[in-house]
Amino acid sequence: MSQILENPRGGCVLAGINSVLGALDRVCPVFHSGPGCCMQTSAAEQGQSGHKNSCFVSSVSLPSSNMLEREVVFGGLKKLRTTIQGAIDLIDASAYFVLTGCTAGIIGDDIESVTEEFRKKGEEVYAIDTPGFAGDSNLGYEVVWNTMIDKVIEENIEKDDKLVNIFGIVPYHDPFWSGTLEEIDRILSLLGIKVNTFFTKHQGIDDIKKCSGAALNIIVNPWLFKGPAKKFEEKFGVPSLRIPGLFIGATDTTDFVRAVAKQLNLDNELVEKVIAAEEDYVYHYLAQAIGVVSFKRFAVVADANNAVGLTRYLANDFSFTPALVVISEPLFRQEDKDRIIERLSDLEYATPPKIVFASDQYEINQAILNEEEEITLLIGSSNDREVALEKDIQFILASFPMSERLIFNRTYAGYRGGLTFTEDLYDNL
Amino acid sequence: MAEVIYSGVRESRPGRINDLGTTGQQVDQDFKKGCLKRADRSFAQGLQCQQINSMAALMSLEDSVFVSHSPQGCVGCSIMAVDMYRVGQAHRGIKNIKNPRIIVTNIDQKSVVFGGEEKLRESVKLAVERYHPKLIFVYASCASGIIGDDIDAIAADLQKDFDSVIVPIHCEGFKSKICASGFDAAFIAINKYILRKEKKEKEKGLVNLFAPTTVSYADQLEMERMLATIGVKVNYIPFYSSLEKIKRIPAAEASTSICKVFADEFMKTLWEDYEIPYSHTVMPIGIRNTDKWFRGIAKVLGKEDEVEEIIKKEHERIEPLVQKIRSKLQGKRVFICGGTGRSFAAAALIDDFGMELVGLETPTYDEDAQTDIEYLNDIHKDYVVDIANMQPFEQVNLVNKLKPDAFIGVPEWAAKLGIPTTHVLDGKRPTMGYDGLLYLGNKIAEQLQNPGFNKKLAKHVKLPYKDSWYDEDAFKYIEK
Repeated sequence: MSQILENPRGGCVLAGINSVLGALDRVCPVFHSGPGCCMQTSAAEQGQSGHKNSCFVSSVSLPSSNMLEREVVFGGLKKLRTTIQGAIDLIDASAYFVLTGCTAGIIGDDIESVTEEFRKKGEEVYAIDTPGFAGDSNLGYEVVWNTMIDKVIEENIEKDDKLVNIFGIVPYHDPFWSGTLEEIDRILSLLGIKVNTFFTKHQGIDDIKKCSGAALNIIVNPWLFKGPAKKFEEKFGVPSLRIPGLFIGATDTTDFVRAVAKQLNLDNELVEKVIAAEEDYVYHYLAQAIGVVSFKRFAVVADANNAVGLTRYLANDFSFTPALVVISEPLFRQEDKDRIIERLSDLEYATPPKIVFASDQYEINQAILNEEEEITLLIGSSNDREVALEKDIQFILASFPMSERLIFNRTYAGYRGGLTFTEDLYDNL
Repeated sequence: MAEVIYSGVRESRPGRINDLGTTGQQVDQDFKKGCLKRADRSFAQGLQCQQINSMAALMSLEDSVFVSHSPQGCVGCSIMAVDMYRVGQAHRGIKNIKNPRIIVTNIDQKSVVFGGEEKLRESVKLAVERYHPKLIFVYASCASGIIGDDIDAIAADLQKDFDSVIVPIHCEGFKSKICASGFDAAFIAINKYILRKEKKEKEKGLVNLFAPTTVSYADQLEMERMLATIGVKVNYIPFYSSLEKIKRIPAAEASTSICKVFADEFMKTLWEDYEIPYSHTVMPIGIRNTDKWFRGIAKVLGKEDEVEEIIKKEHERIEPLVQKIRSKLQGKRVFICGGTGRSFAAAALIDDFGMELVGLETPTYDEDAQTDIEYLNDIHKDYVVDIANMQPFEQVNLVNKLKPDAFIGVPEWAAKLGIPTTHVLDGKRPTMGYDGLLYLGNKIAEQLQNPGFNKKLAKHVKLPYKDSWYDEDAFKYIEK
């Protein structure tokens, strides 16, 4: 079920699948699709994510069967076979994933059997038969992990009680994904934990195969990954800890650290020592710029994960007033909405903001324009700048889609990310 | 025999081919002998589909809503046009920068089974309720085409209820391998639903100047400056234009286009339906091409003498400056990759600087390309020609073998081979006309003089291809 959307944020499920695979080291997607899907899906996600592209293969570098009228009428499997063979001969990948566009999905080409032929020859070629029309890019993230659980991750891997897997940070659909995963990795490493981020440190298919040996799956997201988490636990016995929203700044990051420590029974003395040192690092800087950033009543337009993080940091740690939060990704389960509302409302001192669930740009603009309370700062995506200009208020570009910034390893997450976000709040106006 | 109406699919024109690996001399002879055949690649990388071009062409029109009858992914590339539109507004001094209104019907499993008509109707209704636009464009997609939604019939039915002009565009991706077909699809629809073959009283001195989104504001100003010198009023279409400007098209005395493949088919139609003469020459990049482009439109307007005087003056101004750049670039070997218009224009441009062509990659070959190749063959004796819509795997193979001093085109792959790169498709900065030439020339010269970034990058980053690929024939996957 997909809704009609004005200025949609991101692409179809194929776009999501492609971007997630593109963030893995030396993994090559192979498109069985119409001629434009490689470019369209790469542009929809990577192209709107702070100008950082998958540096292995993306867009017009992706192998593709480029299905034309002939393939629509007669089927495209012959073309697909030579495309896969070419990809194997040319591209130095550790695994190949065959993906389907709408065309292949509607005419019903059997890509599973074709990939099976290659696997029999010892090639690492997997099928993900989820055509573009099946959903949006968030679904793509879950589809990739379901495929990994079903077909790639190995069973009977020796358990490592210090190893964790991080889920919930979606490559490219979250423009700060690299930096965020690096900050999570940095913090957990201080606690003596080994971290599978899967998308940084040149991690790739081999790390995925062995990730069933982890002691814990940490899901940093208020709603995503419910299905795969259950499946992961059933098949590999790895439990999950859900962190219901990105942690930005000292308060939520420390809560995160304590939650992980409790789950893994870490040495309390070490944990408290790390927390003290990190919080000291943050406040040592904050103390040097008191009253520099002027007070704001703010609105946030973002995906649930970032909206929770940004709102809670500004409200709890920075004493700004939250007026309005718009969750801009389509959500279909009421329990997810409830969890998000709870996180946004359970604030330390501040009065909870008004919360709106809207993915359509017109509805988002209306929510902001019609807000009766004064708003002096809007944090949102490139799509939301228009309404900020119309209201003549400060605007910070901090959510997807993001076209007017270049993002490498920048993040607002964690202890250090909170400082970076605070730097960006300053506008000298 | 019934008149054959052009479908907008570029492959349908006789003598136009897509996939070929050859040389400048060879392709010239083969074309003359009529032995060029359409081929295909048994392995290929992704292409640009025609829907991308149909959307990009119109995205900056005022008072318009763009309805994509497709799943959400098919508006992915519109972000490039959206960005151009926003930046274009900033360059034009607009403070409250607007988003284009794009509505995606979001075809899903249900639509695939039961049809997407309801979603399309609902989307058009939303467009009207929200914006009361003058124009609503409805774009087809692979999915809407295959499931058989009749966008023409639905649009015609909706038109009865609404004042907005509803324009369905047949840009289904699977119909064409040549993305420029999407331009034709858009213009065919504009002619059918907006202009409707109604003739208008001519406006003295009015010329339609067709330009795609990728032409920068600086370039627009340069083109307008040049045309003003021969007394031309420009109707700049369709970038930053409006329903009123589109309706003025038939009132023009002549038409010309900045991009060679952008409106060539449409200008032919304007001649057939409205008797508007046109100039179809080259893209005005470099001295030779700018002269040619300028003379072309002047001739149509009967201003041959005036234009010669202006060209003379421009040359006096520009040539000493070009000479300076030439001294830095003389004899350097170049590989060029670009769209049909830009690639040949860039190839002509390098002659201004005395550079030598060693490789040329361009998406299609036809009569127009033959004219350019004949010209290039007079200057450059030995160069490879790759008729390819991108296909970076072939490009890196060729570039690695040819080891050019400079690469002109999309820089991503050649840069990782350590070759100095210059982009000619910069929609935010100047590239065209006499002044654009200097900007481009200086850019090429300075990148050549200071190639540190690419050289260091190449030491640290490897392209995804196996080493063995570089020893193979670049054209091994082209099947005749």
